[in-house]
Amino acid sequence: MNLRFHWMLPKGGEVVAGARQTPREAARYRLDSTRDDSPAPRPDVEGWAHFARSAEQSGVESALISFSRYEPDPFMVACALGQETEKFKAIVAYRSGLLKPTTFVQQTNTLAVLTNGRVAINIVAGSSKAEQRGYGDFLEHDERYARADEFLAVCNLFWRGDGEVNFDGKYYRVEKGKLHTPFLAPARSAPEIYVSGHSEQAERLALTRGSCLLRVADAPEKLRPQVERMREHGVEVCLRMCVLCRPTREEAIEVALSLLPERDLPREERIVTAKDDSQMYRESSSGVRGDGWLTDTLWAGLVPFHGPVWTTLLGSPSDIAGALLEYREIGVTQFIMSGWPELDTVVTFGREVLPLVRAAEGREEQQGA
Amino acid sequence: MSLRFHWMLPKGGEAAMKTAQETSRVLTTRSTSPAALPDIEGWTHFARSAEQSGIESVLLSFSRYEPDTMFVACAVGRATEKLKFIVAYRTGMHQPASFVQQINTLSGLIGGRIALNVVAGSSTEEQRGYGDFLEHDERYARADEFLAVCHAFWRDGEVNFDGKYFCVERGRLLTPFLAPARSAPEIYVSGHSEQARQLALARGSCWLRLIDTPEKLRPQVAQMRERGVEVCLRLCVICRPTREEAIEAAQSLLPPEEIERQERGILTRSDSQTLKQALAAADEVGWLSRNLWAGLVPFYGSSAMTLLGSPEELAEMFLEYKRIGVTQFIIAGWPKLEEMQIFGREVLPLVRAAERH
Repeated sequence: MNLRFHWMLPKGGEVVAGARQTPREAARYRLDSTRDDSPAPRPDVEGWAHFARSAEQSGVESALISFSRYEPDPFMVACALGQETEKFKAIVAYRSGLLKPTTFVQQTNTLAVLTNGRVAINIVAGSSKAEQRGYGDFLEHDERYARADEFLAVCNLFWRGDGEVNFDGKYYRVEKGKLHTPFLAPARSAPEIYVSGHSEQAERLALTRGSCLLRVADAPEKLRPQVERMREHGVEVCLRMCVLCRPTREEAIEVALSLLPERDLPREERIVTAKDDSQMYRESSSGVRGDGWLTDTLWAGLVPFHGPVWTTLLGSPSDIAGALLEYREIGVTQFIMSGWPELDTVVTFGREVLPLVRAAEGREEQQGA
Repeated sequence: MSLRFHWMLPKGGEAAMKTAQETSRVLTTRSTSPAALPDIEGWTHFARSAEQSGIESVLLSFSRYEPDTMFVACAVGRATEKLKFIVAYRTGMHQPASFVQQINTLSGLIGGRIALNVVAGSSTEEQRGYGDFLEHDERYARADEFLAVCHAFWRDGEVNFDGKYFCVERGRLLTPFLAPARSAPEIYVSGHSEQARQLALARGSCWLRLIDTPEKLRPQVAQMRERGVEVCLRLCVICRPTREEAIEAAQSLLPPEEIERQERGILTRSDSQTLKQALAAADEVGWLSRNLWAGLVPFYGSSAMTLLGSPEELAEMFLEYKRIGVTQFIIAGWPKLEEMQIFGREVLPLVRAAERH
């Protein structure tokens, strides 16, 4: 099977056709997107459609549309973007405590029919306590996973479509539930479900209810046992990472270092400290050692400041292609990438890196045959 | 102020349907009904005709038999320029914060052409399928809190709320409601019960109810208008060159016996106050006034209360409602498309001419 590549949807206002941004400017824009005066929270169909078309041409399959109080609703964004594209898919991030599963399925199914099935779901059990409480959710980390498990159980009952749904759980109760709008997609009757998180609960949720575990990239040898566990149970693994590709490794490192903050940020200004009860964030603020190199190509130097999703795969096109194929070796099947700026990076990735990956996959297939 | 006219968006597959029989609830609630699927082509065609007919908005109904209204508004809204969307939604399904985030995002995607029709709930059976086990009166208490939190998000920077049904601590959403000259959507509250009226007065911009005779509506309308809340009437319209032809058209919409029996079954299971009143009216009198007929209600539901007559009679009726303080109407008719075009061509110009004098 060929590796599948997805990309983060840029923030509103980030992609302006014809405008040039340095990597540092792009990083700054993203960091400032949570400020009250940022244009990022406003829907930007023009910029997104431009990005989507470029990504599609670059061989990227879907965009992950993230969920937070700093951004527009990802479902609505996927609906609008779906009207502007033909093939490009959306992976919609949503938190499971914010609406009833019946309503969630009705929304997902409607979106599927409107976009010819080009929708997948990324279930997030929750973010920081503070953000969850702003959404009216007062459960703690572990209970949020228990609730997410029930949430997906109910959703899957609706998608299985074997008549009325009855469910009597701790968090949700449904009696004779039915919905007439089906999930319609070529060859699927339910969306792919990406479960993200680094905790044990997240892994278990992915195994019981998901089609794919979504986590931040780490060194292949560290990921191998977890990837094997998932694949044995028929669940895929998708890695989140940033990509920084330049003609040589040295040039890539130079750009990467330009993204470091000018001064060492005090602890309270670091994004990682805000997400107090996220396992992924706890790991990232404690676990990165020394200079931040996890492998020759995987750099966590930005993670202590901006969080785990800034883990960066960097190098020349062949360095990066080689690293991706190593992940393929251990059983990883999908990637969700990001870069500074998103548009330039996706174009470079499609032109320089992806052909190398596809060529290697083709050779392997021939040898296999 | 000129009267504002809205129209019901036909269900999926209905835009081209000609008769009430074809679109009866008995048929649209079957799992094989085309109403289950979005019908972008039919809707876009209908929406453009609505714009040409002088219709301001379409109302999108919410039920388990239909696609989600907000996404339909997004898709049809992106394909139109002027038409607004009154999106019906039930209040027990979302946290208010994530609901506001969806509405705000939608407003930014379609130039603010979005209003909200808040429904506290439908039949107990349908609510339970959505995971909502509250009874009628409590649903209104929850809807009140729900809208209170929504308003707080639309008004304030940071939201704190500690209620019986919802708690929010330092809630913040960065995507604003984006519309020309508004920072929050218009909110239509529907229902005939005392709780619905109180909710409209406390949290709504407009009370949405079924049409009745002007003299019956006058006190309630006056009560709403005194408190700055508008009144919008739901009705069906059948306009023909003469009253006799309109009556004939109306009677041709009466259903075959089997549909009648099944529809009665659906209606009597509902715990909606609106329906009970409408059914009683239909059983007792049939004709509420010379031009207002309840004869279709037992077969097609309470919103089938029908104003019928010649263009002049209908225009005069609308003006009569205007005189008692009604400001808006949400209309449906059969055939779905043609009745709206007749209204735009024959009735609306008479209303507008009279309003200018």
